[in-house]
Amino acid sequence: MNTSQVTTLRHVKTVPNRRRFSLTKGIVLLFLSVLVVTQVYPLLWLFLYSFKTNEEILSGNFFALPQSPQWSNYVSAFSGGDYLRYLWNSIFVTTVTMTCVIILSSLAAFAISRFRWRYGQVVLLLFLIGMMIPMQATLLPLMIIFKNMHILNTHLSIILPYIAFSMPIAIFILNGFMKSIPGEIEESAIMDGASILRVYWNIMLPISVPPIMTVCILTFINIWNEYILASIFISSNSLKTLPFGVNSFVGQYSVNYGAIGAFLVLGALPVIVVYFLLADKITQGMVAGAVKG
Amino acid sequence: MNVLKVSRLTITAFVLPCLLIYFGIVFVPIVVSLYSGLLDWNGIGTSTFVGLDNFKNLFFHDPIFWPSVKRTLMFSVFSMAEIPLALFVAILLRRYVRKPNFLVSSYFLPVILSVVIIGQLWKTIYNPASMGGMLNQILIAIGLESWSRSWLTEPAVAMYSLYFVALWQYLGYHTLIQFTGISNVPAEVYEAARIDGAEGFKADRYITFPMIIPIFKISIVLAFIGSLQAFDMVMVMTGGGPANATDVISTHMYNMSFKSMQYGYGSSIASFLVVVCLIATVVINYVFNKLEKRFT
Repeated sequence: MNTSQVTTLRHVKTVPNRRRFSLTKGIVLLFLSVLVVTQVYPLLWLFLYSFKTNEEILSGNFFALPQSPQWSNYVSAFSGGDYLRYLWNSIFVTTVTMTCVIILSSLAAFAISRFRWRYGQVVLLLFLIGMMIPMQATLLPLMIIFKNMHILNTHLSIILPYIAFSMPIAIFILNGFMKSIPGEIEESAIMDGASILRVYWNIMLPISVPPIMTVCILTFINIWNEYILASIFISSNSLKTLPFGVNSFVGQYSVNYGAIGAFLVLGALPVIVVYFLLADKITQGMVAGAVKG
Repeated sequence: MNVLKVSRLTITAFVLPCLLIYFGIVFVPIVVSLYSGLLDWNGIGTSTFVGLDNFKNLFFHDPIFWPSVKRTLMFSVFSMAEIPLALFVAILLRRYVRKPNFLVSSYFLPVILSVVIIGQLWKTIYNPASMGGMLNQILIAIGLESWSRSWLTEPAVAMYSLYFVALWQYLGYHTLIQFTGISNVPAEVYEAARIDGAEGFKADRYITFPMIIPIFKISIVLAFIGSLQAFDMVMVMTGGGPANATDVISTHMYNMSFKSMQYGYGSSIASFLVVVCLIATVVINYVFNKLEKRFT
């Protein structure tokens, strides 16, 4: 809360036309800071909560700092909740998904946007339709299919749908970008005897780094946070991803409030760290991703 | 510009891997789902073809179905009602704050967190005061003890508690989208309008609104998709309870297929969901094409 007020004051100083609208501006800035509090304070509260004893939490003093930070909450979260394993599973699943999505969809987008063939637009349309299909509707049949393929309860069973449902938007973004690249570059490369694969690898991919970053960010946020699919297709504790693991932990430790808070903080930590490092890139990427409509 | 002439084999090699995964994981299941909606099947034993019986039961004899449709629609309506607020915040940010990055990033923070974190966090906040819930503790502290209640287990308020969490989480997303849209309106346009006597909110009425209609469309689509994703949030926070008071279409489908093992019936709900989504997409696109024509 303090940080938001300090920042607000800094903004008051830098706002233009201070003389004319000072009262209005004051009210506006107050309103905007209140919004910061409502959006950020619950997370801060959770952070404080995770360091409190059960007695402190139940005492009703929601505003107080913990009397002495209870690291034991974090110890029970670590020991009772396999945090590192879930974290590793999430890193593994997300990395494999992102790599496959980028390779597969850049290949397809390249073919759709640059090759001279009749069905390019049809293929693109097929992927666009896919963006409108709700993922939940495929859960049941997928479970039956995966059961028959004997891949239920493996990482493959969540990676495959993750790839499939990330591809339409990836292809849409990459195709939009690649379409705008002038054709002369490839023509001369082909003239000089470069193979198609070389054009793709040495020309197309390096030029397309900005939209690939956007795809990376979108895929990362979506897959890293995905819960429902993992909870249906995975049953072994050792294969759970972080969101699923967090949810199971909360279910098991229902009265150890501090430990629950600690595990939620640990669960949120990786993505918050990434956000602090790449806030601007992430916000830009998420807006670009939303523009798909 | 499609410039490269290549053999069929090359095209296949580039496109096929993508298409195979996509068809296998997205289209095949949807078709299977449409067909299974016509079966009486528990997913394991033998199935009987029952035609449209599942849909008949769904539309006319299922006491949970229509309320769950209503709640899903309400989720969309509430999410869309949030857009004007987000636009208002975006206009204020644009006009009164010179370096808005910190504010925008703070508003956006909840958007990047997993629905599990958000859901469990708010479950903790909604807890009764005796279990450390912040909301009830605040109400007691400011003397509104009579307002404190068990936010997620009282059927009358549980659904509103869920709507609120979704609004809270996505406010930052809508604000950011509108803000980006407004920032892309060239400053000269406002300059010219000021000379013509349009300033402040008058300028917004005649310049900002018409110029960001495409951005509105993005927000509306997002609100709609978001209301489908309410699925995860409801599953994490209430699972559809108490007594089905917070069931939405997709949780009803989930409970029917994975809990009651009525595979055929669950599939008919899934089919309904797919059809609703496709219709909504067409309607949204149609309405916005009209709007854009009228204003530009």
